Amino acid sequence: MHKIAEVEIQHDIMLANRKLAKKNQKILDKDEVFAVDVLGAIGSGKTSLIERLIQEMEQPMAVIAGDVISKFDAGRFEKYDVPVVGLNTGKECHLDAHLVEHALHDLPLADVDILFIENVGNLICPVDFDLGSHIRMVVISVSEGDDTVEKHPLIFKDADLVVINKVDIAEAVGADQDKMVDDVKILNPDVQVIKTSLKTGQGLKEIIEAIEKFMNE
Amino acid sequence: MHELSMADAIVKTVIDAAEKNDAIEVLEVTVEIGKMTLLNPEQIKFMLDVLSEDTILAGATFILEEIPIEIECGSCGYKGEIDSEGLDEYTPILICPKCEGHEISIIAGRECNVKNIKIEKSDEDAQDS
Ligand SMILES: Nc1nc2c(ncn2[C@@H]2O[C@H](COP(=O)(O)OP(=O)(O)O)[C@@H](O)[C@H]2O)c(=O)[nH]1
Ligand SMILES: [Mg+2]
Ligand SMILES: [Zn+2]
Repeated sequence: MHKIAEVEIQHDIMLANRKLAKKNQKILDKDEVFAVDVLGAIGSGKTSLIERLIQEMEQPMAVIAGDVISKFDAGRFEKYDVPVVGLNTGKECHLDAHLVEHALHDLPLADVDILFIENVGNLICPVDFDLGSHIRMVVISVSEGDDTVEKHPLIFKDADLVVINKVDIAEAVGADQDKMVDDVKILNPDVQVIKTSLKTGQGLKEIIEAIEKFMNE
Repeated sequence: MHELSMADAIVKTVIDAAEKNDAIEVLEVTVEIGKMTLLNPEQIKFMLDVLSEDTILAGATFILEEIPIEIECGSCGYKGEIDSEGLDEYTPILICPKCEGHEISIIAGRECNVKNIKIEKSDEDAQDS
């Protein structure tokens, strides 16, 4: 004789990640580390921007380089003599709080003021996964096309800071940069949108000011 | 795009619960998926079928339920579900249905919740627990 039983589980996998993310933020707060989750499309300039910020900002920094194969970006950051942890996501399309927790243990957090976490180049999957960062900075560029924002609304809805990069080539690729700004504003009226060119340095100062403002809040 | 890892986490959660409850077979699994997650239920279902092969879940029926989006409006205080039928996939998050304001926080619809399972256990085990 066999018996059929119903078992209540109520285990929210998304919530489990969010709880871990909260734990990460506690670890960061203990050492007064301000963490920035850097999200964006492939090739939008995430690594380049972090490289420039490492050079221009005074605060001691560390970087978590997340990518399908992370050693390439990790190698770029190591040149600046900052602590770097590479996280390979392999077949995964995003970082999650669990992976980041491991990386946090490998970083000298007590000596760090700002931690940049470069997420996997993807405008879709990372949205569902908080990492425990204090802000989310989304970096896109004009070369992905000026309909990028409309096509991926959720990532902009959740963003704390939006960077529209490579404006130096906007004309060449026929992208309307102001339309991109307007599209972000429709989704997220209060967010600061900064147009940048890492080739000319345009907008870099504004990004630094914006991050420092968040740090002082 | 991360349906595979989600399905994997679902299967692990179910195996864990099934073992704890001395199941000899899992007959049915109910999972709730929020309409605001970027998860495609069709793909999840397919992955669940594949991943459950050769496990205690093999042959189980997977029931995927949708959790509607619920919002709270910062301008007018509206709190509740929003009708996303017929609307463009993610536009509902943008506008409050009452005051058409944009200051919206999402209070439901981001879940991937393993709700419950139906298992078969041998009578002996059933008496133990
Ligand atoms: N023209 C131009 N090229 C840029 C700019 N920012 C980055 N790039 C180039 O875009 C490519 C991808 O940049 P990378 O930082 O690796 O992008 P990631 O994939 O987002 O990390 C590199 O060849 C950069 O030199 C910019 O503002 N203007
Ligand atoms: Mg990169
Ligand atoms: Zn309202």
